[in-house]
Amino acid sequence: MGTDRYDIVVVGAGLSGLVAAGVAAHRKLKVALVSTGPGSFVTGPGWLKAQEILRASAELELKEAIALFCKLTRLAGCPYAGDISTTRALPSILGDLESVALAPLTLWNAEPREGISTAIVGVRGLSCFDENFMAERLTEQAHLISSSCTYTARQISLTREMGIPVTTLRIAQCFDRDPTFREELINSLRTAASGFARILVPGILGLESSDEQIAEFERELGCTVGEITTLPPSIPGLRVYHRLESYLHKIGVEFYRGFPVEQVEIHNGLCTELRVACPGRPMNLHCQSAVLATGRRSVSPLGNEYAGRDQQMRPLTSTGSVMARNLFIAGSFPHSGEDHHGDVLHILTGYRAGNLAASTRGNHAAR
Amino acid sequence: MRLDDLAIDNCLKCTLCNAACPVLAVHTQYPGPKRLGPELERLRREGISTDTEWVEYCLGCHRCDLACPHQVNVSEMIARAKAEHRKPLVRGLRDWWFARPGLLGRLTTILPALSNFALSIKPARFLMSKLMQITPQRKFPSYTRPNLRSPTIAGKESQRVVFFPGCFIRYNRPDLGRVVIDLLERNGLAVEVASTECCGVPAMANGDAAEARAVARTNVKALAHQVDSGLRIVTACSSCGHMLKTGFGGVLEDDEEFAGAAQKIAGRTYDLAELLVEQLDAGKLNINFQHTDLRLAYHAPCHQRSQGIGRPWYHLLRLIPGVTVEDMDAGCCGMSGTYGFKQEKYQVSMEIGKELFASIDAVQPQMVATECATCQMQIEHGTTFKAIHPAEILLQAYGEQKTGR
Repeated sequence: MGTDRYDIVVVGAGLSGLVAAGVAAHRKLKVALVSTGPGSFVTGPGWLKAQEILRASAELELKEAIALFCKLTRLAGCPYAGDISTTRALPSILGDLESVALAPLTLWNAEPREGISTAIVGVRGLSCFDENFMAERLTEQAHLISSSCTYTARQISLTREMGIPVTTLRIAQCFDRDPTFREELINSLRTAASGFARILVPGILGLESSDEQIAEFERELGCTVGEITTLPPSIPGLRVYHRLESYLHKIGVEFYRGFPVEQVEIHNGLCTELRVACPGRPMNLHCQSAVLATGRRSVSPLGNEYAGRDQQMRPLTSTGSVMARNLFIAGSFPHSGEDHHGDVLHILTGYRAGNLAASTRGNHAAR
Repeated sequence: MRLDDLAIDNCLKCTLCNAACPVLAVHTQYPGPKRLGPELERLRREGISTDTEWVEYCLGCHRCDLACPHQVNVSEMIARAKAEHRKPLVRGLRDWWFARPGLLGRLTTILPALSNFALSIKPARFLMSKLMQITPQRKFPSYTRPNLRSPTIAGKESQRVVFFPGCFIRYNRPDLGRVVIDLLERNGLAVEVASTECCGVPAMANGDAAEARAVARTNVKALAHQVDSGLRIVTACSSCGHMLKTGFGGVLEDDEEFAGAAQKIAGRTYDLAELLVEQLDAGKLNINFQHTDLRLAYHAPCHQRSQGIGRPWYHLLRLIPGVTVEDMDAGCCGMSGTYGFKQEKYQVSMEIGKELFASIDAVQPQMVATECATCQMQIEHGTTFKAIHPAEILLQAYGEQKTGR
């Protein structure tokens, strides 16, 4: 098989694209992932909300999809905890409590808990995070859901020059690269919040750190540490993306980063290759089947002919005929008609498209 | 209005470019690509002066461009601002030379032995540090009399390609140029060496747009007729390849006389590995490699990644039986051509490289393979491992020639 020939080419590195690539790679297929940067998932906090409509419509498949997603994130070192059928409250960027079904561990550590003394520790000079506002709002919000959990505001000053303004990105980068910085952070947190059983910080615990590295940080600090997400770029969201990306890279997914797919070649109802708009001239990737997960806002590489997708995720023309039998549309997409179901839908459709693409490819091989 | 001029409106300030920037990750004062690129560009277009020395700190690695979900040409905006930026006298003089590796190569190779001696002795390096602000921490590559010639073309059937050697191969490693020619010839391609100038990347990196335009024009003149007669251009340096493929970094985009030809050249330029992989996929690559016990770490240079061609060298090296290759995927090495030689940027350069150095150290390879000459210098400077061009390893695996140096 040639180097530019793949069993499956996935386009888009949002949640559904990453899941589709993960499904196919776990089925030992040769997978390429083409993307122009991370999907919009990274701009959010990284949690998943439960969706009742979706749960009712595809319960079994949804369970499988979520189980696979949890497996992928666990193997990638950014495990998700929670359950699609129960929701719990987590602090949002505005100090509200949101109903969340699944989230990375550091976000769960910020949920209201009875009898746990909690400090919200801000960083002096950090833009977009106010610990006083956050502590006041969260205490109030916790009482509304009849939790007696109280949050207390504290602040630390970083001992080193961080530029003006200090951003969560800068702190996270120092956290990743510099063990002395982590030590300094532990010391300041310990001093500022001594006596508290739990410390909540804005999302700063590294862009690439694994759950083990964060657990190590907690052990050295001697108490539970949680994160509250801030304005984009959301560090917890980016961390999930980086961890998943490097895990997929490790298990053999070939990444083509930076350039969009400008055309999908379809012959006799089959997608044969995708044309990536690289500098100089396009690069052609040949495939047995393909998954398009380019999001709602990107220009669709299928052109004007595309008018929606059918139950098997295949693209349809306006007259309702299938454009290509081995092409699958995942995530939100123009005319998908399911734009408001959010991240869980993206996992479900990514899972479904990845499986369908893998099976379709199998059929071809058998023929 | 050029399409690129509209790209600025695609910037949603999502900050993913900042998250991908190697300089921002190590330098807390650096404003980052979002600010230096699209944000200040809006003011620059209004004619408001936003000149800042920070534009000098951009590596030109294009990682911001690749990270941008909306294809904003962030680094090109910074490059334009860099060209407008005025430098103090000494740094200006130093960068004038750094922008002209071709001229430097021609002069130093008049008497290569003397130049190499002068560039290597301590007092000279001390003087260069004091007078030119070139870091005394690094060694200059040694220069060799340029003796890379087109081989006599034997068979008529073989497909012909034009080899664009670039300054490093021309003036420092003509032997590597011969490795490239040998590899291509063994795989059914006849080679002629182009009579070209520097590709222009160093000129752009040092903010010398006029020089970049001048060499780009010379190169277009030299290559246009070959491309028109259907020949393809092959480069073994990822920065030269990047420059040729982007139509000479866009410097000729508004040039009525040359823009069309530059685009044609862009479409006909191939990285050596790209061409070899094409031969492989067509079943034409000689894959009778000897068993070679070798544990390699592979580093993909930034200007290789910015070409969007995947990882052809990684796959080619893995064809050699006995060779194991580990892709470091550990970010930019921090050297960025002349950047790492600049005294005021040496620390930043080394700090950026730390992640890659640590990844290489963790793997403990026998050798590091990377196709960029200055990445090789940086890796050898920051680790204890030897770094060579993957073409040398591939040729050696054919079993008749040792990797030369």
